[in-house]
Amino acid sequence: MTMNRPKTVRSDQTKFKDLLARPEVRARWEKVRRYFFLRESTYDMTNRCNIRCDGCYYYEGDKPFAAENCSPEDWRSLMRAEKARGITYVVLAGAEPSLAPDLLAVCYAEMPLGCIATNGLKKIPATVGYKIHISVWGNDATSFKTRSAKNLLKKQIENYRNDPRAVFVYTFTRDNIGEARDVAAELVAAGCKMTFNVFSSPVGYAGPLRHNAESLLKTRETMMALLSRYPAQVLFSAYNAVAHTSDRGLNDLYRCSYPRCNPSQDIGLGRSFRQYRTDLNWDRSAACCVPDTDCADCRHYAAGSAVVTARLYRHAGDPDTFASWLDYVDTYLAVWAMGYEKGENLCNKIIHPPRAAAG
Amino acid sequence: MPENSALKAIVRRVAEIIIDELKLEDVTPDTFNPEMDLVDELGIDSMDLATIALVLQDEYKIVIDEDDYPKLKTVRLICEYIEEKIAPRH
Repeated sequence: MTMNRPKTVRSDQTKFKDLLARPEVRARWEKVRRYFFLRESTYDMTNRCNIRCDGCYYYEGDKPFAAENCSPEDWRSLMRAEKARGITYVVLAGAEPSLAPDLLAVCYAEMPLGCIATNGLKKIPATVGYKIHISVWGNDATSFKTRSAKNLLKKQIENYRNDPRAVFVYTFTRDNIGEARDVAAELVAAGCKMTFNVFSSPVGYAGPLRHNAESLLKTRETMMALLSRYPAQVLFSAYNAVAHTSDRGLNDLYRCSYPRCNPSQDIGLGRSFRQYRTDLNWDRSAACCVPDTDCADCRHYAAGSAVVTARLYRHAGDPDTFASWLDYVDTYLAVWAMGYEKGENLCNKIIHPPRAAAG
Repeated sequence: MPENSALKAIVRRVAEIIIDELKLEDVTPDTFNPEMDLVDELGIDSMDLATIALVLQDEYKIVIDEDDYPKLKTVRLICEYIEEKIAPRH
């Protein structure tokens, strides 16, 4: 008898094997799943920076007051201990990792997969083979206004032109949306790859960079236009644009799995992720990829890379949603993993993020 | 602990799926320890588990809610979970 069939029976959804029936979808799935072994943690390298930006998350909270541990041997020990507990990918960030090149070399020697978040003013030695994310917050005039740095974009391009490690990360704020087209043209002309971030306010921030509904909509339109214009140089997808410009933040849309928002330590980021400060200590209650960001306003590209990717299950409900998720993961890997080449996007439609109860 | 033949068959099939999906070597469905902790001992992570759950959903025509993933720590627990889900249909 099948009467009174429990709601646990899956009868109205596409089977997973059917989602993989299209050869190009199957190929993309097999390509991305080879990277499922990546397990990240993040590390503040130094509490120094060579510029000071409005809305910088690093200088919020108590992070910048942690003492700097500059001992290469301590860093080497940390990297070995991280590897021993299963970490396979390091994100070296705050405040400005390029100011600690000896520590970068130690990390790279011990942990060969990772990424460095930098403002790009000081070139990181070519021997450090991590991905390098160079933060761009608008054209040179805007950068001077918000970051007190002269000719920043020109210097960034000089340092990282045609560098296979480099991805320029354009952070859309409320007041730099209109500059993105010119900046993208300049980057593309210089042979640079770029992706997009969305300004996510630090806790308590109510300044002019914070997005509103109108600016998020304009941001999405601009992202889509640039993706369409420069599909080979812009590492992004339609679903990236949706996920990061919704009026709801990432935590609301996908339920953030970083420890700060996730009490479970059973599996995944809640179990393995740590955010180390410059004194090499970490605090589970504060641990996420962009600590001191207002979780309700978080649309950060780094957060999405983990949070959206982790929600495979709820994107496996229909072909377009699954293809969109694959585009997102393909983008994430192209941005974060050295040697990974982005494929052509599989779904260019606007697909809305599925709810948790998709199954 | 004695187990019925239906559960035995599920144990074997789940082991096969895990071996196949994770491309495990040096283990067969017959030698796979159903009590082994998949996270602590085998080292699988959330993405692997999500993949296995999707394949199991197809195989047994059930829904495995993502909130239930932490319960699926061993092959034995997965099989008991599946058995419980399919039981009302028998």
